[in-house]
Amino acid sequence: MTDSAMDHRISVDNLSLAYGAVSVLNALSLPILKGKITVLAGPNGCGKSTLLRAIRRLHRPSGGQVRLGDVDISTLNDRMLARQIGLLAQSPSAPDDMTVEELVRLGRYPHQSMMQPWSADDAAALDRAMAGTGVDHLRKRRLGSLSGGQLQRVWIAMVLAQETDVVCLDEPVNHLDMAHQLDCLDLVRQLNADFGRTVVLVLHDLNLAARYADRLVFLRDGAIAASGTPEELMTEATIARVFDVQSMVITDPVHGRPLCIPLRTQSSTIPA
Amino acid sequence: MSGLTSNLAPARAPMVLAIMALAFVLLALSGVAFGSTWIPLDQVTRVILGAGEKTQNLIVLQLRLPRVVIAALAGGGMAAAGFLLQKITRNSLASPGVLGVIDGAALGVVIFLALLSNESNSLVTSIAYQPVAATLGALAAISLVFILSGRQASSAIRLLLFGIAIAAVAKAVTIVMMLIGPIYRTSQAARWIAGAVNEINWSEIQVTALAMLPLLLLALIAARKLPPADLDEVSARGVGLDLPAFRVLVFALAAALTSVSVAFVGGVGFIGLMAPHLARLLVGRNVYAGLVGSFLLGAIMLVAADLIVRVAFAPIEVPAGTVTAVIGAPYFLFLLMGRQRHDG
Repeated sequence: MTDSAMDHRISVDNLSLAYGAVSVLNALSLPILKGKITVLAGPNGCGKSTLLRAIRRLHRPSGGQVRLGDVDISTLNDRMLARQIGLLAQSPSAPDDMTVEELVRLGRYPHQSMMQPWSADDAAALDRAMAGTGVDHLRKRRLGSLSGGQLQRVWIAMVLAQETDVVCLDEPVNHLDMAHQLDCLDLVRQLNADFGRTVVLVLHDLNLAARYADRLVFLRDGAIAASGTPEELMTEATIARVFDVQSMVITDPVHGRPLCIPLRTQSSTIPA
Repeated sequence: MSGLTSNLAPARAPMVLAIMALAFVLLALSGVAFGSTWIPLDQVTRVILGAGEKTQNLIVLQLRLPRVVIAALAGGGMAAAGFLLQKITRNSLASPGVLGVIDGAALGVVIFLALLSNESNSLVTSIAYQPVAATLGALAAISLVFILSGRQASSAIRLLLFGIAIAAVAKAVTIVMMLIGPIYRTSQAARWIAGAVNEINWSEIQVTALAMLPLLLLALIAARKLPPADLDEVSARGVGLDLPAFRVLVFALAAALTSVSVAFVGGVGFIGLMAPHLARLLVGRNVYAGLVGSFLLGAIMLVAADLIVRVAFAPIEVPAGTVTAVIGAPYFLFLLMGRQRHDG
């Protein structure tokens, strides 16, 4: 973390995006606060993953822009952008015979060039990332020999080794069991707290979202339906409006966060 | 496969490469020593150092050394192309043949022989232009593959499928032209298609080397970007590699390397498949070691194949490509069957 990097903050301005003729995001604006965990949630097809990918410039917008600090990200080259925003893909893949260390090293790729081969800085960042995610002992293991939970930690280590101020994670707990979901998100929160990274997460599970988010953003039909703190957003009215689900929201007796108990869909004819 | 590579520490790669280089030098010297007359190794060395006698100078420098050198260049070039393709497609069964380049070059040769022969079956132009025709055919085929695949060119599997389709079309037209053509064309074309390294002179070697050197340098430069290319597209772009664009570049580079390799010697089969696969088994996952090792093994394979046809079939000149095919085809089947077990 350098001092100048602390100024960065992402703002999405009037962003529109279409896949062919199908419009996915409609003139959407959203500030992403630095040092916070922002969770994007919403019903299927609402555009949350597309928004995350657009923030990382994997999609070209048809209108508007994404700014990193004062810089329009479309003006940055691939390596410069990769040094500022890290990304954990929704279903990342790497060869089974690749070692853990090899994969985490790839996080340093944007920091290297023909003129700048592997350096002491890179080695130090690699060690920090492996220690920070607790995968040090797996260093020489092949990816094919890891469990799902271990593998996800290793991928997070790779993104961490990139040492970007902003980290985007696209549904990082999708294929994990309950223990590994908590483990993975605790790790993300710890990285946010310990390393001051700005985190943007796409999560499917509303209760996990409410538990880990500093800021929660609900999307629907390519637009922002609501945004605010979990307490502000997790109301029965808002959830009904965004997700078409009737629910009861209580306060989680352990963590004090709002907890949604879904009752039935609004179109359901079966009584609750 | 992973079991074997995992036992080899990366530190052993330089040692393995040194052994390959040594094996290549010994094989190349034997390639010069063997033939219709045996020339002892010490005299071979003497000729190469410029202190040989007249007949031996002629045999070594004009007859045998050129075919060893072209075999090394062509075998190495094809293996390097195969290495790039296997890495970028993340598929150990990829080889230069599937890009349509080799069959396109073969069609170029057949068209050349057909168009420029007169009624008495002799060529109206010099046979020296045959490699030019091969290169043009290769370029036409790969251009067609890229044009037809259009926006899909960045997808490895789509590009391979278009390559296979174009290769099939080129092969079909080639066969028709050979069947309706006169005998001279047919046997000359068949020689090229099988891949033979005889009848090579130094100026042809010079052309091959001059074309190949910059391509090999580009391959070494591109190798730096190969490790992140091991990842899925989104993750690769996440660490700053525009994988779709890089893939197109590597395909083009592999196609160029292949067409330069086959222009003079013809469509030697399976080296571009076997050499990189073996190299990765022996030197591990380091891309530079893999590239250099592939080149060395490819060179070794074609020099050895040529040595075998010369010793076994003399005085008939059997194309070296027949040996690589006889060994390569079962190797390919073996790989396929092993893969089936993995895939379940």
